[in-house]
Order: sequence, then structure tokens, then C-alpha cells
Amino acid sequence: MLAVLFVLILLPLLAVVIQVLFPGIFFGTLKLGDLSLLLDIFRRPLWYASLKNSVLLGLGTTVLATLLGGALAFARSRWAFPTARLLDVSVWLLLITPSFILAQGWVMFAAPDGLASQWLGWNGVTSMVFQPAGLIAVMTLSKFPLAYLTVKAALEWRVERLSDAARLSGASPWTVLRTVELPLLLPAICSGAMLVFMDTVGDFGLPASIAAVFRFPTLPYSIYSALYTSPIRFDMAGALSFYLVLLIALAMSVQLYAMRKSRFDFLSSRAVKSEPRRPAKGRLLLALGNSAFLAAAIGIPLGSNLLMSLQGDSSSGGFTLEHYRALLHDDGRLAQGLAHSLEIALAAAAIGLAVGFLTAYVLNYTRFKLKKTIDVLSLVSLAVPGIVLGIGYIFIWNQAWLQPIGLLLYGTPWILALGGVAGAIPVITRIMAGAMAQVPERLLAAAQLQGAGFFRRLRTVLAPLVKGALLSAGLTAFGSSVFDLALSSVLYPPNYMTLPVVINKAFEDLRFGYASAATLTGAGLVVLIILSVDLLARGTRRRSRRTTS
Amino acid sequence: MTTIVRRKRATALLALSLSLALSACGAQNASQNAAGPAAEGQAPAANTEASTAPPASTEPAKSDEPLVVYLNDFDEIIQPMFEQATGYKLELVSGNGAELASRIEAEKGNPHWDVVWMDSMPMIDQLGKSGRLLEGWTPADIGNLTDFASGLVPASGAYYPTGAHAAAVIAYNTKAFTKDTAPKTWADLADAKFKNTLGMADPAVAAPAYPFVSWFFQNQGMDAAKGYFDSLFKNGMHVYPKNPNVAKALTGGEIKAAALQESNAYALKNKGEPVDIVWPAEGAPASVRVAAIQKETKHLEAAKAFVEFLLDPKTQQELIDKGEESYFQPSAKGVEPKADRAADAKLVVAEAAWAGEHEGEIKQWFADKAVK
Repeated sequence: MLAVLFVLILLPLLAVVIQVLFPGIFFGTLKLGDLSLLLDIFRRPLWYASLKNSVLLGLGTTVLATLLGGALAFARSRWAFPTARLLDVSVWLLLITPSFILAQGWVMFAAPDGLASQWLGWNGVTSMVFQPAGLIAVMTLSKFPLAYLTVKAALEWRVERLSDAARLSGASPWTVLRTVELPLLLPAICSGAMLVFMDTVGDFGLPASIAAVFRFPTLPYSIYSALYTSPIRFDMAGALSFYLVLLIALAMSVQLYAMRKSRFDFLSSRAVKSEPRRPAKGRLLLALGNSAFLAAAIGIPLGSNLLMSLQGDSSSGGFTLEHYRALLHDDGRLAQGLAHSLEIALAAAAIGLAVGFLTAYVLNYTRFKLKKTIDVLSLVSLAVPGIVLGIGYIFIWNQAWLQPIGLLLYGTPWILALGGVAGAIPVITRIMAGAMAQVPERLLAAAQLQGAGFFRRLRTVLAPLVKGALLSAGLTAFGSSVFDLALSSVLYPPNYMTLPVVINKAFEDLRFGYASAATLTGAGLVVLIILSVDLLARGTRRRSRRTTS
Repeated sequence: MTTIVRRKRATALLALSLSLALSACGAQNASQNAAGPAAEGQAPAANTEASTAPPASTEPAKSDEPLVVYLNDFDEIIQPMFEQATGYKLELVSGNGAELASRIEAEKGNPHWDVVWMDSMPMIDQLGKSGRLLEGWTPADIGNLTDFASGLVPASGAYYPTGAHAAAVIAYNTKAFTKDTAPKTWADLADAKFKNTLGMADPAVAAPAYPFVSWFFQNQGMDAAKGYFDSLFKNGMHVYPKNPNVAKALTGGEIKAAALQESNAYALKNKGEPVDIVWPAEGAPASVRVAAIQKETKHLEAAKAFVEFLLDPKTQQELIDKGEESYFQPSAKGVEPKADRAADAKLVVAEAAWAGEHEGEIKQWFADKAVK
């Protein structure tokens, strides 16, 4: 397990960090690099400011997005209300849409001549959004899906006895929530928070676009600026990535401290499948609140893009479908890119699911010494910008001696699949770990006593109990790797463009309408696939349960 | 039903474990290799050996090996154009300047590219200086270069210009300014009249922004140029990561005028946006697109054919007539630039060698400015 993580994530990253120590190592020269680079973070004003900004942005977004995502997941799995299904769809949409497209939507909405001031007459929006607090708010609305999915996966089973006991002892519903139900969810909440934190500190597109107006450099920005120079400073990118990894390790220790000594494996034979119930009152209120929330979180960024995709070439002109027609006529470039991306994402999700499941198993049920290391490793690839990881992949998989043994993966689509797996592992591992924390080891031990082998235990005991999480994890990984831009833009083989590369290219050529149309079409299709798989899987489960009873 | 599913799952698991085992061995070898030759200092020999050796027989897919070109524009039309004209097969990797530069640099030990064709002359000049480009070869039609273009060809012959465009012109929103009130010179951008209304792309991130600023640094001297850009920042200049963001801000109203890359500016105008363009009389700093051949290319004939094809007036005319980055000044004589490109468009350019040497220093100065 460690070896797999090592190959997929650590090795490429290590390759980049080793560059700091020995700049020429991959090209045959061995000389000691300038180690003072690592200390430069306290000397160079840009680096110091970006570290500070990244921490501020990461913390703010993590707290808010975890609260928001957790609360929504809680409401969603407890109560049935109209528009609830819409929330799921929106979460998937937000999760898979590339952040530079979300950013484009927000900028269109909040710019001085944007939709908010032109159509709604809200002139204050510009100054509200284009400032650090506004950036945190926008990031919160974009990143909460990670927390939502993790917490929701953990809410699949309920042990009503625990809450009932508390209620019988005279606790109010609020007290039960605060002292029984929420604490039991702590592992999932922490997992969600970690994901949000990593994804926020590693995001380049959104902060760069929103913050352009008030200059708010973050660590990924500094990393990019080290790469966007000639001669390229791989060593600086490595040094800065090292700080990102350090941030992760710190965040992990906070999590470990928060969860020390407690046990969360509360599932027992009395657990029941949670089904949302109709609340006694307030259904309408829930539906209204949900709709209003979605209008902001989804309506603003994607709505703006929708408008953009329907607008003709002249800004004064009316609506048109020309950009959508162009999608079909572009020499099939888009369709081809989409096909490539779907292939890669499928492979990445399948392999990632197996690796992530086993990783989560190791984290939860073994006393393996290097457990903590695995824990940190499994998150690294989310925070380190894809372009850095991509460069590491080239270092490792493009060495001339690999060619005769057929392992020169760079230059073939396999390298993209490999990169996709690295990107998928953090999400899968976190979602799985959150759910597995609830399954007591004794259930597995009981099966073992009955003579069930390792794989049989996984297959017949553990997997069914965390099936919902498996499904969410696989689909999340699939959805987010379809649109993984940074990694595929440095790794894609000649004549093998992927969907995000095609979209980004259109964006850089100022074909905003086309870029929006392509994103919405691609994202729509992917969400459709995700939802049908989700529906199919849940549908068969419900039916199978009915037949057994 | 379930058994089928199970069997499928088992197959998938099998395939998976195989691939994992495979990659695990690869890793072991990789780490050995990383430590091994480096310690003995033998890797350079190994590398050249590998790249000059005939293609390994384990790679049947490369039987009709195509020419691989790294480029940042014209990827939408160049492939069929070249294949039809010469019969060589062409494969492209397109991306922005930084992505391609990262790839080229990371591939250093085992390059995958044969030709690089980008508007990053300083970067390619540095590649040539480090001995990674084919030198001493002269394309057949070299006499047909314009005076401007032949002045850019290095003595080593490591690269040849195929065209140049303004890294920035002054673009303004016609709702805010008229021809008379808009800024007309680069010095105007520091004028208090335009306080908080101007924007430009970030030289630390946007590819064309460096050729723009480097001209000031070479032309005025380091300190004077720093003073100039400081005065722009004091005047409330907004700095966006890339030119498309500047374009967005200009049409969205965040800013009212900008130093904007030429083809972006014309694209806005042609789309009917309320934007007009000023070519400063002292000249617009140029971004020069050059083509260079990788020193150890295995497809030398095709690579030379590609560079000569790009220098052909017919090709350049077709790029102008049909390409997406069609606003540029051709490098060959007898090619008509876009009709609506200003007749008085004057390009000035920082010396490639100078710009390449000072790139790190100047970009860092801008990057650290971002904080203040």
C-alpha cells in the first residue's frame, strides 16, 4: 500500500523537492543546491505574504465550508423536503467544474459592469466580493461540496438507540445533537475539513481571478510564478511545495489532537439505514432556504456562464446558440477531448477506488507503524498544484532507460491515468476513512473467527456497510478527474488533448462563450453520468433489500 | 446477475493488481536509477546514447514516426497545412508558454519534441545558449526575411523568426474615453488623469507581458524602468494574471484602459465590444514568434522542412488569413498583414539575449511588487 502511494504521489513530489537539494540530479550532474531557498520564505516579501495569505484563506474557508457542508448534509439526510435532490445535483456540478470557470462566473457577476449592478442594481456587490473576506465567501460556496459529501456518506447509518437513550434521559433534541450525534460524526467532519483545507490552499484559478483586483498572492501563485520564468526555477517550486506539504502535516496533527483517545466506531447490529423523513413543520422553509442558497452557490457562477454561452459576439446582440453549434463543428476536437477525459477519469476512479479503499482500511484497522505517514501522503496530491506534480511525473517516467523495458509512460495516455489516480486518492481515502471510522473492528474480527479470509471480510462485511461512501468516493473521483486541468496540461501526449485543455485553450483565445458552452455541456454530461450511476446503484440496493425482506 | 458482476469485479481487481505490481517495480528501478548514475556522474553519456540510438524495436507504434512540435498558437490549422504541403506527419502539443517551457525543461534528459515554435524568443535564446538547439543550419529562403526579422536571427542560427506581434498596445473602453481623451503614449499611463482606471497582465505569470516590460528595462535602464512601473502602480494600475482577464476587466468596466496584447485587443474590437486601439508612436514592445529545432532530433529532415515551411510567404499569408492569432507582422517579404491592423503599427523589441539574461531578476522584481 505504501509502495503504491509512494509511486503515485510521493515519488513525483520527491523528485521535485530533490531538485532543491540537487538541481541537476535527473540530468546527470550532482551538485548541492542552494538550501537557503527553504529559508527564503521568511526573506522574500512575496513568498512570506503568500504563505500568510494561504494560511488565512485556508483556515477561513475550512471553518465556513465545513460548517456549511456539514449542516447541509445533516439537513439533507434527516429531512425530506422539495428541492432536496437539486442540492445533490448542485454539489456534483460545483465539485467537477474547474475553478477557473467558477471564477469567471463570479467575476462576471460581481464586476462593476457585471450582472449584479447592471441587472439587479446592486452596486455594493463589487466591493463586497473583491476583498479577502469576499474571496473566502466565494471559496466557501465553491468548496463546501467536499465537506457535504464526506459528512453525508457518514450519515448513511444511524444507531437510533443512542439518540433515543439520550432523549429518554430527558435531553432536548438540541442537546442530543450537540452531545451525541455530532461528536460521533467527528471523524467525518474532520475528513471533510481536511479536504476543504487542502483543496483551498492548492487552488490557483479561483484566488488568482478574484484576487487580481486587490492583489492577494497565495502559495500556488508563487509556485506558478517560479515556473513562469526563464530559466525555470524548479528548485523554487520545490521549496514552496515543501511548505504546502508542511501545512498539510500541521493540519493533520491538529486533527489527530482533536480526535485523540476517542472512539467513533458506533455501528452495531441495531444500526438502521437513515431515510430522510418529512419534518413535522418547516418543510416549505427548508425548501425555500435551500433554493435561495442554491441560487447563490450555483446560480451565480454557473448562471453567469450560461448567459455567457448564449451571448452572441456583440455584447449588445441578443441570444444565440452559435457557441453550442460551434461545439459540434470544431473538427470533433471537443468530442475527442471529452472521450479522452472520460477514459482517463474512468481508469483513475477505478484504480483510485481500490487503492483508496485499502488505504482507508490500513488507516482504520491496522497498527501499522507508518500509518501517520500514509495519512499525510494520501492528502498531498490535493494540495500540491498539479503542474508541480506533473513535472515530477516527467522526471520519474521520462528517463531514457525506461524505454527498452516498455515503461516510458510519459508520452502515452497512461501517464494521465497515473496522474488521475494520484489526484483521486485524497478524496477517495478521506471519504472512505470517514465512513469506516464508524464500523467497529469487532464486526470484522467476528467474521474472521468464523473463518472468513481477508478479501471475504472486506467483500461481505466492510464493503456493504460503507457502500454509500464507496459510491460517492468513486463518483467524486471520476467527476473531478474529468476536469483536471493542471496535471493534464503538462502531461498530455502529442495529439491527445483532454477536455479541460481544449476549454482552457478557448478561454485563453478569448472565446469565452465557447469555453462556457463547452464547460456546461461537458459538466452536464458528466453529472448526468454520475446521477444515473448513483440512481442505478441505489435503486438496485433498495430493490434487493425489498426482496430479502 | 450478481455472479456476473462479481466476475467482472474480480477481473478488474486482477487487472488492477497487475498494473500496480508493474508500477511498483518501475518505482524501485526509478529510485535506483536516480541515485545510481548521478553518483557516478555517468548519466550524460547514457542519455546521449539513448537518444542517438535507433528507436527501440519495442516501440512498434512509432514506425511512421511523426514530427513532434511544441507550440502555443496556430494548433488549430497548422497540422493539415503542413501535412498536405510536405507529406510529413505532424503531431502537436499545444499549451501556454509556461507549460511548454516546463515540459521542455523537465524533459531535458530525454526530449520528446523535435521543433519548438513559440512567441518566447528570450526563453528559446537561452535554450540555444545552453546547447540544446540545432545550430549552424540556414533555411533555404533566408534571403526573403524582412529587415526587421533578419535583425533578430542570432549568429548561431539557433532559431528563426516567423512573425512578431505587439506584446501590448493601448486598448481603451470607448464608453469611457474618446480618441482624444484616451492615453496615447506609454508615459500617459502614469498620468493622474487615469488614476485607478488602468490594467495590465502580470509579467510574472502572463507570457506576453514579459516582452512588454523587458523593452522598458533595456531601453530606459533598470532603475528608470523600475521608476516608471512604480509610478504606474502608484497610479492604481490593476494587475491581472493573464491577458484574457485584462480583456474581461476592460469590457466589464473594472478598468477603462489597458496595456493589452495585440490579438486580444483586435479580438475584442472584432467581437463588437466597445474597445478601440492606440499604437503608441514610440512603438509597441513586440513578442517575437520563433521556430527552433531540437539538437538531437531524430527527424531532422522533417524538422528542417517544417521551419522552412513556416518561413514560406504562402504559409504566413494563410496564417494571417485563417489563423486565430492572425494579427502579427510577418517575417517574410511579400506577405500582407491584416487589413485592419494599423498601418502605422510600429514594433520595438528588447534584445533576446539581454531579455533572457535579465528575465529572472525583472520577473522577481514584479512578483515582489505584488505584495505591496
